[in-house]
Amino acid sequence: MYRTAAKRLLGAGLTTSRLLRSTIIPSSYTSNLCTSSMGHTESPIINQSGPTAASSTGTGEGPRRKPRPEFEEEQARVLSASLRHVARLGWTEEAMTAGSRDVGVSPSIVGSFSRREAALVEYFMDECLQLLIDRVDSGLDLQNLIPSERISKLIRIRLEMQVPYISKWPQALSIQAHPVNVPTSFKQRAMLVDEIWHTVGDGASDLDWYVKRTVLGGVYSTTEIYMLTDDSPEYRDTWEFLDDRVKDAFDLKKSIQEAKYFAQDIGAGVGKSFQGVMQSMSTRGGRSSSSF
Amino acid sequence: MALRSISRRFGSRVLSYRSSSVASLHSHATSFGFQQVKEEEKSKLVGNVFSNVASSYDIMNDVMSGGLHRLWKERLVGKLSPFAGMKHLDVAGGTGDVAFRIFDAVNSVKRRALRKVDEDSLEETQIYVCDINPNMLNVGKQRAAERGLGDNKSLVWVEGDAEALSFDDNSMDGYTIAFGIRNVTHIEKALAEAYRVLKRGGRFLCLELSHVDIPVFKDVYDLYSFKVIPNLGELIAGDRESYQYLVESIRRFPPQEKFATMIADAGFEKVEYENLVGGVVAIHSAIKL
Repeated sequence: MYRTAAKRLLGAGLTTSRLLRSTIIPSSYTSNLCTSSMGHTESPIINQSGPTAASSTGTGEGPRRKPRPEFEEEQARVLSASLRHVARLGWTEEAMTAGSRDVGVSPSIVGSFSRREAALVEYFMDECLQLLIDRVDSGLDLQNLIPSERISKLIRIRLEMQVPYISKWPQALSIQAHPVNVPTSFKQRAMLVDEIWHTVGDGASDLDWYVKRTVLGGVYSTTEIYMLTDDSPEYRDTWEFLDDRVKDAFDLKKSIQEAKYFAQDIGAGVGKSFQGVMQSMSTRGGRSSSSF
Repeated sequence: MALRSISRRFGSRVLSYRSSSVASLHSHATSFGFQQVKEEEKSKLVGNVFSNVASSYDIMNDVMSGGLHRLWKERLVGKLSPFAGMKHLDVAGGTGDVAFRIFDAVNSVKRRALRKVDEDSLEETQIYVCDINPNMLNVGKQRAAERGLGDNKSLVWVEGDAEALSFDDNSMDGYTIAFGIRNVTHIEKALAEAYRVLKRGGRFLCLELSHVDIPVFKDVYDLYSFKVIPNLGELIAGDRESYQYLVESIRRFPPQEKFATMIADAGFEKVEYENLVGGVVAIHSAIKL
């Protein structure tokens, strides 16, 4: 249920990239997001050259183009190798240059990644999400925990993946916050939050759906930022902070619930007295009308 | 109204040449502007054109494009995103316009990441400027000297044919050709050569005057091309014919989609193109995998 809602909210790109292992956002999709001017016709060309290529296969002329996914596989290989250099070189083209040298591809390939450094950050985000899903699927012990503990545990697992890159993570955040990259980074965060709620076992699709995800998104992001300046051993302060925020969120939920009940009571009370007034008016009216 | 009739006249001219070119395909004729010439003659004729205009080539580019060609070349190099230690081949770039930009980009990368890039890899950077025309290369070498790059080892000037490059297979990280592929007799051969010399992951980028499809703008552009440019050529370069050839050869060049298909047929992946100024120029990019 929540999946359909998520699809509705975030578009079809969501499910495809979720299903793929070693996922990357298809460049045509992302380039459509950021280039809307008439001058850019990057993606249609694939469709239009498709039939020509197919028809000439029939005549058996020349070598055929391999299907497009190969480029994406290559990009994923380069990016995954580049992650090893991030701690030293940051989320930069230099890291990707070093990465492509490692896998024996000309660093020239980096120039063809859409939005360059963002490609690396987004790849990392996708990888982490996949890792999180894998950990959950491989039997993470969550059954004995209450929902709030489950949530903080999942956020903690996810944030711990960023520990090796923590010194460069502010740079990644600034890349994600760049207006051009916001659509993708927002989508990735939404997917993460969604995954966490799903794992916790929340299947509701009412208005609460949005509230829950917004609140959890807030908790995740504030903890992420808290972590950047945390120098306590093994990020103890961060995890404490996280637990507190999750508790706050559940308290908030409780107080919202209470406020709702309160509002209902008041509503009922007001309604009753309103009803009373109406009744008395109608009876009085009835009397007066009968007296005529 | 006048515009319409002019463009129609040109349109019909183009059409009639197209149909005649189909008929004469089998006699190994090729186009030189709107004229039909023997294949062997085309390279000679193109050679003459560029020998004639070499000295005033860059000034003419500035005048004809209103300085825009600088932005187009910047964009081309921006798309390439050069890196330290890169082996790059710039074909038909005799005057070094693109090569100098790549050189500058690599060296600004150096400044930005001074501590991150080892000097060795930077010195390994090599930009080969390949042109079939020695006169154009001489202009380039002269300009290199003016920039104080006269004996810089990163810039290598090579006289050579785009259809038969003298470089090894899988030896280049990047291949650019700016305003050049139009003048090549067999575009397919040039593309095949580009594919051959590039490494795995190497990129092919082509900046070329292309086709405008926006209705009114197309008419204005045609008027400008056929009425203004040849006159400018006569005035500045003292050579009307060469610039008449230029505007005609642009019309004979395959449109964006067709050219993209040709690039894909040469074996390249991720073929994309970007129109600039509504298609007056287009940057085609592709990658060898």
